[in-house]
Amino acid sequence: MNKEKDVQIDWTRLHEIIAEYGDEKWSLIPMLQKIQNEFGYIPPQAIPVIADKLKLFPSEVQGVISFYAQLYTEPRGKKTVRVCRGTACHVRGGKTILKLVKQHLGIDEGETTDDLEYTLETVACIGVCALAPSMVIDQHVHGRMNPKKVGQLFKQKGEQHEST
Amino acid sequence: MQPVTLTINRQEVSGHPGMTILELARESGINIPTICHHAKLAPIGACRFCLVENEQNGALLASCVTPIAPGMIINTESPRVLEHRKMILKLILASHPDSCLVCDKGNQCQLRLLAADLGIGLIELDRIPQPAVTEEVNPFIVRDMSKCILCARCIRACQELVIEGALDYFGRGFKAKPATLNNFPLEYSECTFCGTCVALCPTGALMEKEALYRGAIGDAVQTTCPYCGCGCSISLEIKDNQVARVKPAFEEQDNQEALCVKGSYGCDFIHSPKRLTKPLIKVNGDFQEASWEEALAVVAGAFNKIKKEHGADSLAVLGSANCTNEENYLLQMFARCVLGTNNIDNGSSLYYNATLRAFSESFGFPGITHSLKDLEQAEVILLIGASPEASAPLVNYLIKRAVKLRGAKLIVIDPRRTKLTFFADCWLQPKVGTDLALLNSLAKVIIEENLIDHEFVARKTDKFQLLAEILGNYPLEMGEAVTGVGVEQIRQAARLYAAAGKAAIIYGTGITQQALGVESVKALINLTLLTGNIWRKGGGLHALQRDCNAQGACDMGALPDYLPGYQHVGEAEARNIFETRWDVILPSTPGAGALEIIRQSREGKIKGLYITGENPLAGFPQAALVKEALATLEFLVVQDLFLTETAKLAKVVLPAAGFAEKEGTFTNLEGKVQVIRKAIDPVGESMPDWEIILQLAGAMGKPLPFSSLQQVMDEIRELVPLYRNDRETNAPEEEDLWDTRFDYKLPLKTFPGFSLAEYAPPAGAPDDSYPYILLAETSLYRSGSGVRSTNSRRLSKYSSSFKLRINEVDAQKMGLSSGDQVRVVSPDGQLQAAVEITGSLPEGTVALPRSVPEHPVTGLFSSLPEAAAKTSARKTCYVRIERS
Ligand code: SF4
Ligand code: SF4
Ligand code: SF4
Ligand code: FES
Repeated sequence: MNKEKDVQIDWTRLHEIIAEYGDEKWSLIPMLQKIQNEFGYIPPQAIPVIADKLKLFPSEVQGVISFYAQLYTEPRGKKTVRVCRGTACHVRGGKTILKLVKQHLGIDEGETTDDLEYTLETVACIGVCALAPSMVIDQHVHGRMNPKKVGQLFKQKGEQHEST
Repeated sequence: MQPVTLTINRQEVSGHPGMTILELARESGINIPTICHHAKLAPIGACRFCLVENEQNGALLASCVTPIAPGMIINTESPRVLEHRKMILKLILASHPDSCLVCDKGNQCQLRLLAADLGIGLIELDRIPQPAVTEEVNPFIVRDMSKCILCARCIRACQELVIEGALDYFGRGFKAKPATLNNFPLEYSECTFCGTCVALCPTGALMEKEALYRGAIGDAVQTTCPYCGCGCSISLEIKDNQVARVKPAFEEQDNQEALCVKGSYGCDFIHSPKRLTKPLIKVNGDFQEASWEEALAVVAGAFNKIKKEHGADSLAVLGSANCTNEENYLLQMFARCVLGTNNIDNGSSLYYNATLRAFSESFGFPGITHSLKDLEQAEVILLIGASPEASAPLVNYLIKRAVKLRGAKLIVIDPRRTKLTFFADCWLQPKVGTDLALLNSLAKVIIEENLIDHEFVARKTDKFQLLAEILGNYPLEMGEAVTGVGVEQIRQAARLYAAAGKAAIIYGTGITQQALGVESVKALINLTLLTGNIWRKGGGLHALQRDCNAQGACDMGALPDYLPGYQHVGEAEARNIFETRWDVILPSTPGAGALEIIRQSREGKIKGLYITGENPLAGFPQAALVKEALATLEFLVVQDLFLTETAKLAKVVLPAAGFAEKEGTFTNLEGKVQVIRKAIDPVGESMPDWEIILQLAGAMGKPLPFSSLQQVMDEIRELVPLYRNDRETNAPEEEDLWDTRFDYKLPLKTFPGFSLAEYAPPAGAPDDSYPYILLAETSLYRSGSGVRSTNSRRLSKYSSSFKLRINEVDAQKMGLSSGDQVRVVSPDGQLQAAVEITGSLPEGTVALPRSVPEHPVTGLFSSLPEAAAKTSARKTCYVRIERS
């Protein structure tokens, strides 16, 4: 989880965003959203700064971030891969698909590849059970997945990983 | 307000609107089991364990958050309620680990008690896998989140009571747990190890680490914390004549609900193997154990001989801000009646003298104006020259509660960034040592902008014109030039303070230990007089005190110029009362104070010294000179818990019993007299100080007229005006009086006077050879001269390193990095320390911790002052830093 990705963040821009908001406590969520929109995630280093501005405890700010599934404290990949673990997918080998995706990307659920290409997640059901097993990359649904298709989708990725 | 009437368990009861069902039930003697609820915390209704049924409509209600309503028919034990309660507990237990049987919380675990109550044994539900124990290296607290039941008591304790904000929920749903920022171990978080969350956690998820005992405990004794002047009520849990655990005494009426790390985990000094257990007599340079008779005979013989050969004033006594009121009372009697000298003082005079002198000159009596409870009403709090987060943690909590929970405004005047500057609405950073100039500037703005309380100033004060005139000619720009604080900021702070209806001032050793200590306290008094705040509840002046009984020691007359109750030794009338009672002639000229005693010892004028519970070698300026002085003495006797650096120089060392081993009273920094109760027998052959003093007086052939402690207490109540009444029952109700000390019926001056002293730059201003200002900082993990905190296993383990804090820019200039060893050199001494780089100090300022006996930072301060100037700067000095 705490994999140190040596990401430099743009402090100037961060301070600018924070300065746009008043110091009322309810500014927190909009401020977090704005930061996430620009940075793609909420850099953990930003938490104490946000807390200081709103006179909240850093742990409180972290608590709020961790409460919302849509707020992240780790950099996200350019693309989000969501593998379905609904019942239909499960009986049709969804688990194997997930395992293969993990292997190809070299990351676990909830993680992001080092080159910030992909973030891997699972979802309860994406509602295309007819196409099970399925997964979504960004907005594109890929149905009737099989090991070969996984290989093709992540071909380049897989090779990169083998060579590093 | 109309009372609300309803039925609980077929019993008609009524309460006031807004009460919860739980509150009313408990008030009516009906018990509803709870888990997440705690009387000292805001209710959140998380666990639903407190369910009750409203038989009107069959609704199940969480009683801790549901207000009462007329006509409700509540059943707290209906079959449905019981069934639900059982189910909830089973669910909680299902995710609880199997390590229950070996859990240290043992029969203190609320979960186990409740399960036993409901007859739940083996759990038939499937276990839910749980996270592992968090690795923590701190010696105080261990967390095992697998035992957490998500009641959030710890989070509320941390956010509502001590307001450190170290904990909050992390994650959602099943995964949610109380966590620190980044889920790091506590020692990397804001946690100060106050132990409040541990005391409130109903399960074994949060537990005390390295406790002396595990499992079941027998009795608990309520007493008072022996560390700082806040005087928190603590509960000592006793097993086999040992203090096994310390907890906040939540039941105690006046307790402020939370302790700090010293109270919670620092009392283990009681059972340190280093405690003195037998009297020691030095023979040929080595200590040999002796019986009490032998030791006391040696002391008595020596004191009698010195008195006969050189007169009474060649003897002196150093009393203790850590001993009880009764002991200090006896000690000053011993000095005045048995030895016949006014050469008596206590260690608190090093920081409390400035307050005593300024108060008695301005108000006519030295003492306290307001109680800590008054802070609850303050709209503005001005904090100056104080680090309550280290020296008076309870006051720190009260300030933060006022700001965070009540929206009070905080003005912090401190060159350093501290945890409290985070809470400040206004933070002024004057150059070190220039507070007086800043305070005078604030007064000037208040007068110039007409922010004064005219009626109060006209009717109740004296010499206003004089002040206004002098300040009229004083340009604010000069204030700016001296202090480095901008004129506009000065104005803002002054307006904030003066515009508030009720504004309190809190100050500490940063003011009183300056060279201009008395003058600075008077400047603070000016502010309270100008705005009328001295008279109001929620206003006033609070002086922080480092030692648990600094106030009491002074009240009891362990001072060179005052008899008990601040009656001057020079006043025949005052002397008369005591002379009649004690049947002696009392010495009428003020004696030598603490530093003067050291000075006269060095000169050979004082030849015999009796020190109880003080460690001047570590606590006084100029350790080397103090050592020389004590070594010059013909006879030194030291009475203490430990063989301190000071005790090592003595001819005779007497083992004293600790606070848990005796009875008595302490008076805290707000003037509240609190009880010390005996919890265990004295360690080894040690004896309470009061008993030793009585026996010593007897051995000298001049017994003091008491045969029990109660008799001493009775005499104090009779003869000391401040203690004349039983204050617990006689506290006045009137709203607008100074309630803490006013009921002492002291002759308060009706017209407190303004006074003005101008700022003068300190002697020995920085030159190139000593370019840095050194601050001696109080550390949360240490106290006083460090005798007890060093002997607390856990406190000393956690703060063993001795570090010089230095600003990053300065460090860069000198090419220093963290951990480098340096020599800190002042004109008067030098010390070795490791570098710690910080962003919280301004450039040009460095800081070292005080209260580390092996590295007495006081050794860097300038030589003993001349007799006239009783205070000298003991907070700051100029230094240079050399690599070593
Ligand atoms: S750690 Fe203890 S106090 Fe905190 S939520 Fe868990 S059970 Fe409650
Ligand atoms: S010990 Fe005190 S500061 Fe630390 S987490 Fe618990 S309540 Fe907060
Ligand atoms: S605040 Fe002071 S009195 Fe209270 S527990 Fe801490 S050291 Fe003891
Ligand atoms: S005690 Fe009422 S909900 Fe927990």
